[in-house]
Amino acid sequence: MSGAGTTSGGAVPTPEELERLAGEAEAAIAAAGDRAAWEAVRVHWAGARQGRLRELQALIPRAADRKMFGQAFNRLKSRVEAALEARDAELARAEIAARASEARVDVTLPGRRPPTGSLHPVTLVLAEIEEIFRGLGYSVAEGPEVEEDRFNFGLLNFPDDHPARDAQDTLFLEDGRLLRTHTSPVQVRTLLARRPPIRVICPGRVYRNDNDLRHSPMFHQVEGLCVAEGITVGDLKGTLEAFLTRLFASDTKVRLRPSYFPFTEPSCEVDISCQLCHGTGCPTCSGTGWMEILGAGMVDPRVLENCDLDPDRYSGFAFGLGLDRVAMNKWGIPNIRSLFESDERLLRQVRG
Amino acid sequence: MRFSLSWLADYVDLGEGLELESDPAGRHSTRRITEAAQRKASQIGEKLTSVGLAVEGYPVQTFDGGGRAASGAGEPGLEVEVTSNRPDCMCHLGLARELAVALESTLRPPSIPLYGSLSSDGSSGAVVLEDPEGCPRYVARVIRGLKVGPSPEWLRRRLESIGQRSINNVVDATNFVLWEMGQPLHAFDLGTLPGGEVRVRRARAGERLVTLDGKERELDPEVLVIADRERAIAIAGVMGGLATEVTAATTDLLLESAHFDQRRIRIAAKRLGLHTDASHRFERGADFGVCDEASRRCAALLTELAGGVVEEPAVDAVARRPRPVAWRLAGADLARFTGADVDASSIERVLSGLGFAPRAAGDGLWEGEVPPWRAADFEPRRPRPATAAPAGAPGEAYPQDLYEEVLRHVGFARVAPTLPGLGGVDAGVNPGHALRGRVQRALAGLGFAEGIHYAFHDQAADDRLPVVVRAGAPLALANPLSERYAILRRSLVPNLVAAAEFNARHGAPGVRLFEVGRLFPGGAAEEIEAVAAVAGGPAGGPWDGPAPCDLLGLKGIFDALLAELPAGPFEARASELPGVTPGTGAQWLAPGNLVVGWFGRVASADVPFELFAGELLLSRLAVEPRPRRVVAPSRLPSVRADLTLTHPLDLAWSVLAAAIDAAPDPRRVGFRIKDRYRGEGVPAGAVATTITFEYNAGERSLTQDEVNESQSRLAAELERRFGVAREEPR
Repeated sequence: MSGAGTTSGGAVPTPEELERLAGEAEAAIAAAGDRAAWEAVRVHWAGARQGRLRELQALIPRAADRKMFGQAFNRLKSRVEAALEARDAELARAEIAARASEARVDVTLPGRRPPTGSLHPVTLVLAEIEEIFRGLGYSVAEGPEVEEDRFNFGLLNFPDDHPARDAQDTLFLEDGRLLRTHTSPVQVRTLLARRPPIRVICPGRVYRNDNDLRHSPMFHQVEGLCVAEGITVGDLKGTLEAFLTRLFASDTKVRLRPSYFPFTEPSCEVDISCQLCHGTGCPTCSGTGWMEILGAGMVDPRVLENCDLDPDRYSGFAFGLGLDRVAMNKWGIPNIRSLFESDERLLRQVRG
Repeated sequence: MRFSLSWLADYVDLGEGLELESDPAGRHSTRRITEAAQRKASQIGEKLTSVGLAVEGYPVQTFDGGGRAASGAGEPGLEVEVTSNRPDCMCHLGLARELAVALESTLRPPSIPLYGSLSSDGSSGAVVLEDPEGCPRYVARVIRGLKVGPSPEWLRRRLESIGQRSINNVVDATNFVLWEMGQPLHAFDLGTLPGGEVRVRRARAGERLVTLDGKERELDPEVLVIADRERAIAIAGVMGGLATEVTAATTDLLLESAHFDQRRIRIAAKRLGLHTDASHRFERGADFGVCDEASRRCAALLTELAGGVVEEPAVDAVARRPRPVAWRLAGADLARFTGADVDASSIERVLSGLGFAPRAAGDGLWEGEVPPWRAADFEPRRPRPATAAPAGAPGEAYPQDLYEEVLRHVGFARVAPTLPGLGGVDAGVNPGHALRGRVQRALAGLGFAEGIHYAFHDQAADDRLPVVVRAGAPLALANPLSERYAILRRSLVPNLVAAAEFNARHGAPGVRLFEVGRLFPGGAAEEIEAVAAVAGGPAGGPWDGPAPCDLLGLKGIFDALLAELPAGPFEARASELPGVTPGTGAQWLAPGNLVVGWFGRVASADVPFELFAGELLLSRLAVEPRPRRVVAPSRLPSVRADLTLTHPLDLAWSVLAAAIDAAPDPRRVGFRIKDRYRGEGVPAGAVATTITFEYNAGERSLTQDEVNESQSRLAAELERRFGVAREEPR
């Protein structure tokens, strides 16, 4: 490309020469076959610093007939610009057309997925339960997993050397403490730390000396506790119905059967209508139409007294359920131990 | 626990459908099992379940002996889960009592002959009670001249129908009464007892006894025994001794019917590792009141089955009487507590039927005494200082214990569901729980799958990988499931590494796993909530275009997680860590150089890819309760400019970054590493680091000259301090 020397030293062309240059430029522009060629020819003719147009413009002051030269130059400039613009539009159309055929993608190919993770089935079930109880005005309380005997048993009205303890095969520590066998010690800790009205749920890991196909030495419970003046068995029943018809199908039936736990009086086992057969009886519910889902009851007056609460003034209810079984039911996980072996092939299928 | 329906029919009318026959003595039996009978059995089972005695199955006992058995011959049974508070229901009469109330029928207890007895306080005579706490009552009745032999068919069937084995008429008679009335009895061969005397005392240290199962047992003073003048002859409430066993040659018996303390029997049974039908009942609380009655029932049965004469009077030694427990129930309180209206006649019917003998005591008020067979379930109220009762006065039952009795039988279905009113103040958010949720969601969002593992592992796992907080020795389980689960973990990583290996064994090309859980540092140190993650190999398939995880990839996961939490700043300090490949380990430091975690490449894991792991102690992060405030972005775009510095390889990025931070420039709003390059043009031992700087002057546009000036000033400073000359391109 010509340099500054052209500007200072070149002879001033005649208008006829400018006319010829215009034809030359139009031909060159029309011949630009692609974007790079167009850009090269644009720079050659209309480049801001060293283009031919700029060089020629610089000659205007030196022309014999400046007016005539100026007019001829302007014609040249317009023709060059128009030609560039026209060719630019043509090229753009050609590019779009070209891109359209190259852009074709097999949209049935899998997308490129960014890695996605998953929450544990037990975490998801707990989140759902928490959501329900938040709506009912409950807060979350937690406690240690290594517990003292008195919180896990004594204050919950399990006397020393009582067979009621046998139902909860305990893992003891060498220092005399134990791994909590249920989340109920958090009830006691809450009752000792706060004054009624109390509404808490206590989720967490619990441990038992039990390891077979149906039992895992570690599993999860969530305990609920409501203590205030005037809490009734009806409140327990209403709360459980509200909870279970939200956690399970809305037409789920709830049945309370009397049972025994040392820390509640009266106590009950709570069944829900079988989620598979809707109560007509199937192998999953052993033909009964019911599935045992949780244990509950009114807080035993001895437990209230153990926590310095007057059972003539306060009453309350408590319930506890295993999260693992609920998760297994919900996602059809066949074996409790598969919850704890972290097979990513299983974990990553679970969606809330 | 198994029960026979025809046996129950002796004491309560079960209605039509069971095809029962009755012998002249009024004993029922079923000869055939029909569909109707099975339906009836399940109706009865549902009734029992509804009052708290869960029927879990309907076993059918078929008989093949006697030549009379036609096909379908057998006894319909019930498998009942009797909870530990209901020892009174561990016999047919007790279960029949519940059934009579549930079926609104009447209980028909067996008629029992009266044989005379002589009361004693157990301090002297033929029965000496040396431990009145352990054994407050002991009835010793002598039967002479009987003939030991096989039991009649009705008795054999009765026992077989509940899964018991017939032994001989004497042992079977005691077992029959056990399963009828719930009272464990024991027959001693009177001929083996010098002077026919028994004492109930604690065993002596080292005292030995061969029990009925032929095993010699060493006893200690925690164990209560029945003894003759010199030696122990039976373990009280648990098992008899071989030397005084009834044999075919026995003609005279001493029949024991005693009351033993729950706790004492449980201690003995546990120490000796013996669990018997007798200990099962005594541990749960037997009926103090039934001792003599059960003894007479058995004596009568023995004379029926084996002949002989009941000697009168028997000795009824009572060293201590249990304190009676009085109860009061107000209908209005019951309604208030349950939220259900229960009519007076139902209250009376239920409590009468269950043996509470209610007396009307005014308007809607009843009172009475707790029957002795329910004593274990009606531990009386602790004395209240304001109403201190005189010594010897009856105990006071908690009204809730009575509410339960009524409610069990009227049914929870009578209670209308309500929701409690919301009183009090909100308890607020549990910060630890909320933090755990954030961490779980963040890591799932970063592509990790959440796992949950046992909180225990073995000692080797504790030693193998880094542990941030060790407070002495790890907490060890006294009764671990196995050596693999011997101690409580103080790092989540070993279980995660094991999980990575599990996945690799199942063909996974890579893993991304995390867990949030408690660590147990040891001793009395508080539990620590932690999160750990392992990553290795690609995160998806080749199509998804991921690179396999590397160390900075794993670190980046933690960087991203920490960025989610208003805490820190946290810093990684290179550190040699156990079980971590040298040169790849680092500790996470919180302000004040507090170690809050670590990360690195796992030196040895059985996986076909490089495995990286890291752990953070969430309890130590000091997460601020409020989110950090944002910096409002400029309305104008920033100007970015790159700078490449060639510096020695061992210059840590953190030092370089700190130097940049320390060179103030109001226009510079940020910088980040863009690239690192080693190779042509970079001398050995050096690396070229390209950093992108971002400049912004807020309200006005920056000129290129201003940016160039900032950049060249910084470049000169960094060159001067850290730079090495680049090699000329060849």
